[in-house]
Amino acid sequence: MLLQLNNIYKWVNSGGQRVFLLKDINLNVNEGEFISVMGPSGSGKSTLLNVIGMLDGFDEGEYNFLDESVHNLKEKHRATLYKQYIGFVFQAYHLIDELTVYENLEMPLLYKKMKGTERKALVADALDRFNIVGKKDLFPTQLSGGQQQLVGIARALITNPKLILADEPTGNLNSKQGEEIMDLFKQLNQEGVTIIQVTHSEKNAAYGSRIVNLLDGRKV
Amino acid sequence: MFRNYIKIALRNLLKNKSTFAINILGLGVGIASCLLILLFVTDELSYDSFHEKSDQIVRVVFKAKINNEDIKEAVVMAPVAQTLKNDFPEVLDAARLRNRGLQNIATQNKVYRKARFAYVDANFFNIFTLPISKGNTISPLKEPFSIVISEKEAENYFGNSALAIGKQLYLDGSEDVYTITAVMENIPKNSHFNFDLLASMQGHTPSNSTSWTDSGFHTYLLLRPEYNYLELEAKLPTILEKYMGSQLQEALGVSYKDFTKENQLGLYLQPLSQIHLNSDFSAASQMKEGGNKKYIYIFGAVSLFMLLIACINFTNLSTATASKRSKEVGIKKVLGSGKYQLRFQFLVESLLATAIALTLALVFLILFLPLFNELSGKELELSYLMQPTIALFLIGLLIIISLLAGLYPAFFLSSFQPLDALRSKFYGKRNSKGIRSSLVVFQFIVATVLIFATLIVKQQMTFIQNKELGYNKEELLIIRNTNALKGHEISFLNELKEDTRVLSLSKASHVPAGSVNDDMSGVFVNNKFQRRVFVYHIDEHYIPTLGMTLQAGRNFSQDFGSDSTKIIINESAAKALGFEEDPIGKTLETNSPFGRKLRTVIGVVKDFHFKSLHQSIEPLIFDYSQGNTIIIKAKTQEMAGLIQIASEKWDKLQLTQPFYYTLLDEDYNQTYLAERKIGKILSIFALLTIFVACLGLLGLITFTAERRFKEIGIRKVLGSNRIQIIRMLSQDLLKLVSISFLIAFPLAYFLMNIWLQDFAYRIQIQWWVFVLAGCITITIAFATISWRSFKAASQNPAKSLQTE
Repeated sequence: MLLQLNNIYKWVNSGGQRVFLLKDINLNVNEGEFISVMGPSGSGKSTLLNVIGMLDGFDEGEYNFLDESVHNLKEKHRATLYKQYIGFVFQAYHLIDELTVYENLEMPLLYKKMKGTERKALVADALDRFNIVGKKDLFPTQLSGGQQQLVGIARALITNPKLILADEPTGNLNSKQGEEIMDLFKQLNQEGVTIIQVTHSEKNAAYGSRIVNLLDGRKV
Repeated sequence: MFRNYIKIALRNLLKNKSTFAINILGLGVGIASCLLILLFVTDELSYDSFHEKSDQIVRVVFKAKINNEDIKEAVVMAPVAQTLKNDFPEVLDAARLRNRGLQNIATQNKVYRKARFAYVDANFFNIFTLPISKGNTISPLKEPFSIVISEKEAENYFGNSALAIGKQLYLDGSEDVYTITAVMENIPKNSHFNFDLLASMQGHTPSNSTSWTDSGFHTYLLLRPEYNYLELEAKLPTILEKYMGSQLQEALGVSYKDFTKENQLGLYLQPLSQIHLNSDFSAASQMKEGGNKKYIYIFGAVSLFMLLIACINFTNLSTATASKRSKEVGIKKVLGSGKYQLRFQFLVESLLATAIALTLALVFLILFLPLFNELSGKELELSYLMQPTIALFLIGLLIIISLLAGLYPAFFLSSFQPLDALRSKFYGKRNSKGIRSSLVVFQFIVATVLIFATLIVKQQMTFIQNKELGYNKEELLIIRNTNALKGHEISFLNELKEDTRVLSLSKASHVPAGSVNDDMSGVFVNNKFQRRVFVYHIDEHYIPTLGMTLQAGRNFSQDFGSDSTKIIINESAAKALGFEEDPIGKTLETNSPFGRKLRTVIGVVKDFHFKSLHQSIEPLIFDYSQGNTIIIKAKTQEMAGLIQIASEKWDKLQLTQPFYYTLLDEDYNQTYLAERKIGKILSIFALLTIFVACLGLLGLITFTAERRFKEIGIRKVLGSNRIQIIRMLSQDLLKLVSISFLIAFPLAYFLMNIWLQDFAYRIQIQWWVFVLAGCITITIAFATISWRSFKAASQNPAKSLQTE
């Protein structure tokens, strides 16, 4: 078991009333799964992903990640946990515009205080693996959307995480680029990476092994 | 990792060129101003510190209050030095200096040059560190009529200073011939005395005087190391009574005890290091114009504020550009960066920017130092910066500024929650807005105070310029030192008198402006000493030529053969001597080297300002005798021709001194040179401050515009026009500027009143100066704001609404 959500509630207070963002969510994820989270706008898909990614907290319930009780951890420990095991892929790629492709890939390794030679080897591997060696000295703005997302995924994978969280990874891409990215995810999954993706598209959801449907913060 | 920080920092700088330029420019100007003033202050504080025994040397000065007249002199009586050395073992050595000012000195070929000349005791070189470079290094001034010359002056006379030893120098107007025994290194500029020639006191007769009532010697004591000079100062009153008592009795007919019942007088000590900045002694007794502590404080405060404002700007602009950096912060946090790493990164950036600004500041400094020197009348050199302490200070400054300027943005930026940062949702924080607002208010307080101060200084200077002086300073040509004419004086004068362009011509000892004169005489009425009074020696043309008014009585006249015992007094003298009612015909006695002389008052001249407007009008006596200054009244348009003719006539006489003239109104303006300089320097710093403050405002309005980017778009879609948006954006900032007035105005009023206290005749601060200063500040501020907000208001709304 990779992670387990038990009776997770998350709410905000608005005008004296509780508005539930997540309501009684239970979810078990095993290693090697490829889960698609679906639902209409405002159903809580991204919130759920952020809770799983520990970028966001929750108000009630239990969250266990690899034998650690996340709900009992301090923020600092949570941060160390997600830095070590989770990679993020965003709809808007979120690459650093001031850095080249190479440097963007190198960034997470720097924060892991990895040695220079080791970093070089890992970045070179990633460039190779995603076929972007030729682009390594370009800046993100010089790349197409699909290429940027490729770099985004490469960056998420470079620290060798157990779990990839992808928030509408193909949302800003055209259908061909989207297809390529989804193929890549499928391939990665087959190589053993656990993936949770949020998507609007039935077609993309079908790449996954399991679909979780949300409506108004509830699992349906 | 570190390389990564630098890389991101540099690329960021290049990407935001305009913001970066504003930032660096502001900080550079701030640091440059600070360094400039630092140089100024360092120079002022370094006076006389080059003497190896500087902390053991004190100067003896004389202070008294006699019949309500304050007397402060930097010189004392001739026997003081030897007496103190004999009577007190803590005085290791004592030496005197008698200043002779500029003298005409010639070599054998009799070509005269002006040189700064003084007599000093033989042991002067033992007390002060004035290295002898050539000649007799042990005791160069032991023999009478021996003289030490400076390197520079020796080169002027002999081409090569090595040739000077053994040569002879002639002093104009005396029979004395001096033999050069040594060449000394030039006296550093930061010394309270600067001489080209130091002659032996041995041959100088007044130095042997035993009088405790005649003054004129700068007296320096070398004290035991670690000795507190205040202990010695406490013992000085007894000395004065012991030695001065009998002489005072003889001169004034009063015992010392009786005299000191109503009057105060005493000798005081002044440490060498304090001489330059504590120089409120009578001008004639000083060797050089001293510094002014007040200006050290003013400039020190201004430089500190400049630096603070520059740092504030840097901080403000850094947080303002944070919106552009939020994404980077968010990503880095998600990718595993901790707060500390981010803070460190932003501090590195601020260090980098500060280093660039510091370099820029040094460039500014090199470029503008000559200009500043010209304005301030200083000779500051860049080499000061090379001193290890200053270099260390610069490094310290670099670190402090980058911390001051970088800490807040570092904490601000690193505190973003990663999700908020990615969504650029961090603006709502109230407290940071409060900090930014108070920073703006602070900046504008400083800027407004400076603008206000500049206006007041200007107004006071104009006031001085147009003040009713009691005489007419315009159209007057002054030719000083007619002694040089020797036998040709009368013919020279007569030739000038015949010139039709000369409206009137007078010969007198003094004019009311220009070089200071302290020609004073003791006055006795009914055989009782009253006070010392200034004396002018004038002829019958003086009063009409200078356009003065006789209040009562008559002018001197050749028709009354015996006017030489008559005097004209000014209104202040009439009041001080108790002659207010019917002064004409009253008699008094003045003392002179030849005893007392009986005088009869024949007229009262209306008070006129014969000293600077810093001082009230003092009692003054005109007597009918010869002076050596020619005063010519002529029309302005004919002045040039007249000067030409006078100069030619002078040259024809082949005198040893060149023709030298001044115009009285120019002399008059010279008197307020210090204030003018201050006025100019202040206005420059006021300009710089408002410039830097406006850069800050620009940064802030940019920040506001970016924060409300989307709001502006929505408002435009809903039909708002540009003017409304500009108003919306400017309102808040202009409110802050207005708040700063509330603090700035009372503060400025208070400070400028203190400054005006220095003038006995001064302007009243009027309400419209506040209005004007406020208008100037608001206008400049609004111009800055509207430029940026216009840009924001003109953007395409579709663009701002697209982003989400």
